[in-house]
Amino acid sequence: MFPVSLQYFFFAVVLTLLQVLVFNHIHIFGYATPMPFVYLVLMLHSNTPRWMYVMWAFVAGIVIDIFSNTLGECAAAMTFLGLIAPRLLEAFSPADHGDEGFIPSPHTMQWSGYVRYVATATFVFTSLFYLMESFSLFDIVRLCIHIFSSSLLTILIVCAVGHLRQNISRG
Amino acid sequence: MQVLLDFLRRYNYLFLFLILEIFSILMLVRFNRYQGYVWLTGANEVAASVNGAYTGAVAFTELREVNRSLTDANIRLQQENHALREALADTKYDTTYTHRRVLDELQGYRLIPARVVGNKIRVGADNYLVIDRGSSDGVTAEMGVVSGGGVVGIVYLTGRHHSLVMPVTHSKSSISCSVRGQNYFGYLQWDGSNTRTAYVADVPRYAKARKGQVIETSGYSSVFPPGIFVGRIHKVSNASDGQSYRLDVVLGNDFASLRDVSVVATPYKSEIDTLRRRAEFIDMNSED
Repeated sequence: MFPVSLQYFFFAVVLTLLQVLVFNHIHIFGYATPMPFVYLVLMLHSNTPRWMYVMWAFVAGIVIDIFSNTLGECAAAMTFLGLIAPRLLEAFSPADHGDEGFIPSPHTMQWSGYVRYVATATFVFTSLFYLMESFSLFDIVRLCIHIFSSSLLTILIVCAVGHLRQNISRG
Repeated sequence: MQVLLDFLRRYNYLFLFLILEIFSILMLVRFNRYQGYVWLTGANEVAASVNGAYTGAVAFTELREVNRSLTDANIRLQQENHALREALADTKYDTTYTHRRVLDELQGYRLIPARVVGNKIRVGADNYLVIDRGSSDGVTAEMGVVSGGGVVGIVYLTGRHHSLVMPVTHSKSSISCSVRGQNYFGYLQWDGSNTRTAYVADVPRYAKARKGQVIETSGYSSVFPPGIFVGRIHKVSNASDGQSYRLDVVLGNDFASLRDVSVVATPYKSEIDTLRRRAEFIDMNSED
């Protein structure tokens, strides 16, 4: 199953543009930067092959890197997210989902499972991203503030986008 | 082979992840200046530590050879050290002011260098020194013996290769001395109380002797030339007869550790002795 339909591709382009043109320039209190482009990996269908997860995450990350002039940072973090995302989805998905799989959303996973899935994945991604950016543990307090504040903001935005997409799909 | 292919097929995403992750990190350190700098610094530190560990391991494997060469060097150095100590003992000269002054005063006299080979110095005893020069070396009785610290004594008996010296720490020793800068003289004698001290008796009461002044040979004998350091005045007191001073003197030599000495061959001693003997002979004949 190819994970990216035309609708997904359009959504990815819009999200990438928003990230590059808007979100990259937001630094709340100088620390919190939203990074909702993780949603490009989190929204993949549960039956997507794992190698496709990894490849898609890498491509999304490198595109963001190219436009953000941070070559390698996002790509490394996103590739790792692509590796663990299927495992996280398995861990937080409802037990009664069928073999046909599902697209992660508050509707398919319940809010609790969806939020835990998004929160865990986002926290792992932001931690890796800021570790790649600082590349040392010289100022670990500042690093932690960056990670927690950016994770919180990103989780809120991703959950909001998920909710919005759910409402739109319901019509 | 099939198992291997199955394994690769099953975990293809892991290999893909590793490749892409390594590629991402390479881009990170290649195209980002800060990360590149940190990476380079860390890599240099790692390389340095690896090099250090390698060098340490190589050095450890060579320890046996190094240890053997060190042992050889140690033995060689010990032998050299021993030889140098011997040479130093033979050539060592006291460079103190006293020694230089003694040498100055002895210019014009023939000095026969000797080494003390027998030395039993005891308080209260009549001490003798044995030196390794005798008549074959030109040493005769009643020659003066000096060292870097000043007067030592007088040759008492001579053998062919050794001589017996009566040091100033002998009860019968009597050497004519004076206070430096003054012409009043007395005789240096030893009371047996201390091997580092002696006294000068018969110093006239009008002599201006003070503590700290230098006692030197007077030159009123043919044994020692004038001006050879003997010691320093430690105490000035009245002699038992009440007619003269007694000067307690701290000797310049430590007889307990005496090693290198010189026998002073006075050039006109034989002539002076002949004159004295002739005078004594004339006196005896005139009395007859």
